[in-house]
Amino acid sequence: MVKLTIDHIPVEVQEGISVMDAAATFGITIPSLCFLQGLSNHPSCMICLVKDLDRGHLVPSCAMPVSDGMNILTGCAEVLEARKEALELLLSDHVGDCEAPCRISCPAFMDIPLMNRLIGSGNFEQALSVVREEIALPMVLGYICPAPCEKACKRKQIDQPVSVCLLKRATAQYEIPQNDAFYSISLDNRKKVAIIGTGPAGLAAAFSLLSSGHACVLYDQHEKAGGTLQYDIPDEHLPRAVLDAEIAVIRKMGAEFRLGITVTREIFRHSILPAFDAVILATGTMLSDPATMFGLAPDEHGTYIDKKTFSTSLPGVFAGGNIIREQKMAVHSVAQGKMAAKQVEIYLGTQHPGTEGESRRKSVSATGPLFEPEWNEYLKESSHDQRTIPAGGISRGFTREEAIHEAKRCLRCDCRKPVSCKLRMYAETYGAGRKRFTGPERKILTKSFHHEFVVYETEKCIRCGLCVEITEKQGESVGLTFAGRGFDVRISVPFNQTTREALTSTAKLCVESCPTGALAFKDQEERKPL
Amino acid sequence: MDVNNQHINEKVDRMVALHGSTVDAVIPILQDIQHEFNFLPEPALRRVCETTDITPAGISGISTFYTQFRHSPAGRHSILVCTGTACHVKGALFVYEAFRRELKLEEGEDTDASMIFTLGKVACLGCCTLAPVVRIDEVTYGHVQPESVSSLLRDFLTKKNDGISTALPAGAGRHVSQGEIRIGLGSCCVASGSSDVKMQLERTLAQTKINVDVRQVGCVGICNQVPIMEIIKPGESPAYYARIKPEEVREVLLRHFKPEGYVNRFKTGFYNLFENILADGAPKSFRKYLGEQRDTPLSKFLGPQVNIATENRGVTNPIDLEGYRGGGGFESLRKCLAEMTPGEVTDEIKLSGLRGRGGAGFPTGQKWQLVKDQADPEKFVICNGDEGDPGAFMDRMLLESYPFRIIEGMLIAGYATGASHGIFYIRAEYPLAVMRIGEALRICRENGIIGSSILGSGFSFDVRIFGGAGAFVCGEETALIASVEGKRGIPRMRPPYPVVKGLWNKPTLINNTETLSLVPWIIHHGADAFAKTGSPGSKGTKVFALAGKVKRGGLIEVPMGITIRKIVEEIGGGIAGDKKFKAVQIGGPSGGCLPASETDMPIDFEALKGAGTMMGSGGMIVLDEADCMVDIAHYFLSFTQSQSCGRCTFCRIGTRRMLEILDKIRNGNGMQEDLANLETLALSTSRGSLCGLGKTAPNPVLTTLRYFREEYEAHLNGMCPAGKCLPLIHYEVTDACIGCTKCAQRCPSDAIAFAPYEKHTIDPEKCIKCDICRQICPVDAILIL
Repeated sequence: MVKLTIDHIPVEVQEGISVMDAAATFGITIPSLCFLQGLSNHPSCMICLVKDLDRGHLVPSCAMPVSDGMNILTGCAEVLEARKEALELLLSDHVGDCEAPCRISCPAFMDIPLMNRLIGSGNFEQALSVVREEIALPMVLGYICPAPCEKACKRKQIDQPVSVCLLKRATAQYEIPQNDAFYSISLDNRKKVAIIGTGPAGLAAAFSLLSSGHACVLYDQHEKAGGTLQYDIPDEHLPRAVLDAEIAVIRKMGAEFRLGITVTREIFRHSILPAFDAVILATGTMLSDPATMFGLAPDEHGTYIDKKTFSTSLPGVFAGGNIIREQKMAVHSVAQGKMAAKQVEIYLGTQHPGTEGESRRKSVSATGPLFEPEWNEYLKESSHDQRTIPAGGISRGFTREEAIHEAKRCLRCDCRKPVSCKLRMYAETYGAGRKRFTGPERKILTKSFHHEFVVYETEKCIRCGLCVEITEKQGESVGLTFAGRGFDVRISVPFNQTTREALTSTAKLCVESCPTGALAFKDQEERKPL
Repeated sequence: MDVNNQHINEKVDRMVALHGSTVDAVIPILQDIQHEFNFLPEPALRRVCETTDITPAGISGISTFYTQFRHSPAGRHSILVCTGTACHVKGALFVYEAFRRELKLEEGEDTDASMIFTLGKVACLGCCTLAPVVRIDEVTYGHVQPESVSSLLRDFLTKKNDGISTALPAGAGRHVSQGEIRIGLGSCCVASGSSDVKMQLERTLAQTKINVDVRQVGCVGICNQVPIMEIIKPGESPAYYARIKPEEVREVLLRHFKPEGYVNRFKTGFYNLFENILADGAPKSFRKYLGEQRDTPLSKFLGPQVNIATENRGVTNPIDLEGYRGGGGFESLRKCLAEMTPGEVTDEIKLSGLRGRGGAGFPTGQKWQLVKDQADPEKFVICNGDEGDPGAFMDRMLLESYPFRIIEGMLIAGYATGASHGIFYIRAEYPLAVMRIGEALRICRENGIIGSSILGSGFSFDVRIFGGAGAFVCGEETALIASVEGKRGIPRMRPPYPVVKGLWNKPTLINNTETLSLVPWIIHHGADAFAKTGSPGSKGTKVFALAGKVKRGGLIEVPMGITIRKIVEEIGGGIAGDKKFKAVQIGGPSGGCLPASETDMPIDFEALKGAGTMMGSGGMIVLDEADCMVDIAHYFLSFTQSQSCGRCTFCRIGTRRMLEILDKIRNGNGMQEDLANLETLALSTSRGSLCGLGKTAPNPVLTTLRYFREEYEAHLNGMCPAGKCLPLIHYEVTDACIGCTKCAQRCPSDAIAFAPYEKHTIDPEKCIKCDICRQICPVDAILIL
């Protein structure tokens, strides 16, 4: 047995094990990208650095054997900074987008590429549920959204952006009428929430709460629900039938609409506050002074509504939409309505705090505009056709066939391993950004589809060598190898063969071991909705 | 199977038969394939995989790791432009660019259209005093200027063509010798033309029938004065003829020796007259120094030196066993085997205070003890001769000139540690060293000095040579071991240290060439004698390759503790030309730059480390005010960056990002935050890298930032004070121009209009900053601004 100190705690461990394993025995997890139990664990990523206090060095804990009297720190400032720098260096040489730029630019953070793929494979039903994860009014927004996503679409550089907005409309057009099962969800611990205002934010909040099984009552001073959607937008832009159909969905989900009621201070304090578990203020810009109206007190910064938690000075009273700040795009209000609803759920105890941001992870890696040689790489897995124009005109939207045809134009520039990628995970943990050490030129991304079910994108590789060792140990006859050295070293297949020959029995293991999206399953979907 | 493949297969099969079919045979087999085909044809590699344990993945990984190997056909001749430090500061890049223009190479090409020449760069050819140096196949050219590359290529092709006709009659007959002539045949000497001098000497001796012994000796160390010929005549003080040319040999010879017989004398006179007429007006370029003369450049150069590793310098023929024995050679080995126990030998080395000369300075005796203490019956000793630092040629010189001494050191180490196998790991760029060690090993084997029961003692030890295939990182001991085992030269985590688990997981002692070469002397003279020389923490001597802007460069051996200033000013004779002494770069790419003001510091492991540099393996490059420190930092970092194995994040990407920042600064596009980022990266790369290469790679950057920060700042403001960084400078003609048109004639980009007797002008749009005009201007009328 060996006695050493880890994070000031004296411990005794078996001789010959690594510092990393020793720490794990005592519940301290040290991060690593290149470590895999059972392999030689020749350090490369250097994320597992810890401080050897006596020698004053940082050492890779995965390969450093324990020795008597060692004094190790696993989380001091120096260690954290070194890990962050290592991650930043890796990110500076990692080419790829964690999330597609369309999704990043969507105020509702809708998973557009996933919707595209589902439509492309004819699965409109799942496509709609992907849309509804973030967007309560897909049909309405399918008409009026200015589609910032299309402005960000990488396909734009090659010919025209994917027609995202019409595709989203198509999911609703073809699925909502037959999507009954969706409407009847109930929760054991059902709570009652009042929503003041039935504009995009209010409707979205209701949709989200109803989806989780809560009860909602929506108040509006107008005779009809819809707020600005109902009263400000001309009919030729948004046919009222479309809006009414989507409101009908929410009604069908169990929402109670109390229309034509102006919520006065009196009603608010005496009829609403005591009767509901929570309230969401979604009055838009209708009220000139909502604070006084609802009796809100400002915080130390002078603001009435917390921009992160959407909470107010009144317990259980939240706010969302243009009441916070005027936004031109309805999709903004829809997004905020959902976010306010999520905060309400946390407040009500039906959702764990901290989970609300999970679906809104930013890209730690982003490539920016494509380089011309990359066009063909991306086109390897997408339709080469120009943007589809609906034969029946924009107002009629896509037919099913047109939608499928158009969705296949998506370049699939989002990562295939957005959840399992360890580089992304640790970059988030350690606050590592890609920009600090960016080089003057980024590498050109390549995609290899030679293998039956594996995609290999070498520029996403961080040279950990796990796949090389796996193929060697498992006796692949061709296998993978390191080619070249230094900064230009890359993983390649001997004698100009392809991944088809290189990865036979080990393909699955290699993909699963790869800490980034460099090796991925062709049809890998880590965010497939239930 | 087609005929061509069958032909390849037969050849490959022979190589496999020679080297074996185990995984560790891969590098020697690849070297043979490369030698045979000039590149590695894929069918040959596939054949290797079919017939050996070597896998396709293995052979691909290895053949793309080492720079020696090519995967596309090369030209018939290979031109290697040395870009070692000394060559770099003397304009090697201008020479390289001149070759590119001459061979009309497009971007990304390295071979000319007619496949005659392939152009490459080499980290260091170890002829630093002849900088800039170029090697074409086996021929080395020194002091190459950009404007002379076309004549150099012509010269090479002509000589190649009459290669056969230059065979000469053998030297003097077997009469009574009138004296001895020594001529150095180290790499520098050969590069400076000593073979031609030797040929001329032999021809003259044959014609004149003068009867003297011609002895070819190893490196004489005075590399700045080569070719050098030493004449030893009984009753006379030895005379040295420095920088002698072939056409001067006859005259020198006749001054000292009389031809035999009247007829010969007549003939000699006749030829003499005839040749003098032909060579009329040729300036006499050699200088004569007498051995006992004081205050000659030679005595100043040699005076402060102490020769232990280089004992008997310039006296012995490197592969003359009797000569070596005559000077006490193998006496130490005999003493160890006959009179000392392995423990006593180890203790003696411990007592001497000897520390490893490879760079880090680990106590040698302690290392031996660690290996000795291992119970494993199978142990190895490896001589690390993978000297790859640009600006260092100590190991090469020692291996070329004192092969027996190093073999003796290795045998003593083997005896002390209980090892039975030795390996000389020598880089492939040192063919002469490989040849000399190979020859010396053969002689030793024939004489019972290696093999079983050496000198009848019962101690058995065998030695082989492993040719490094071009990877600086293999100087790191765990990477070196990996490459001997037939793997990519990737360092691994220590512990376990090689002394415990080294080659094939056996205890392995790895000592630097110079360290081993000091061992016989210590045993012979005793630990005390060795410890008497040097400073308290660093005993004995250190060999340095002194080069750069000094008057007298060369290979020097100095006592530890001597100040850097003394080396530069006394031994080196100060700065050549009228420039100011600015800095010394010590320790190669792992070391750092010390400003002139810090050079009163003694040569000592700890003192150098404290100053931010390190002993390294002993490159010492002197810089003057025309050298830009940003450029020097960039130069060293671009070397280490290109030599990174690519395994760990900090070294692979960190060094690259640092280099990119330095590029930006050199181009005048640097910002204040780039300096901060550069410093951050330097510190984290040094802290977070796995092996010594990455840990020390930032040193040149850190020391220049520490001592010359103002130069970085100047670059941020768009100025290169030394006038080195091309994007920040331009060339101008001053009023001193005499209108000789030389520059206009030579300008490769027509940037200078032909204007006889008028002041010339340079068109900045056309100028490619090749520096040729400035170099050839007879009146120094071209300035860098």
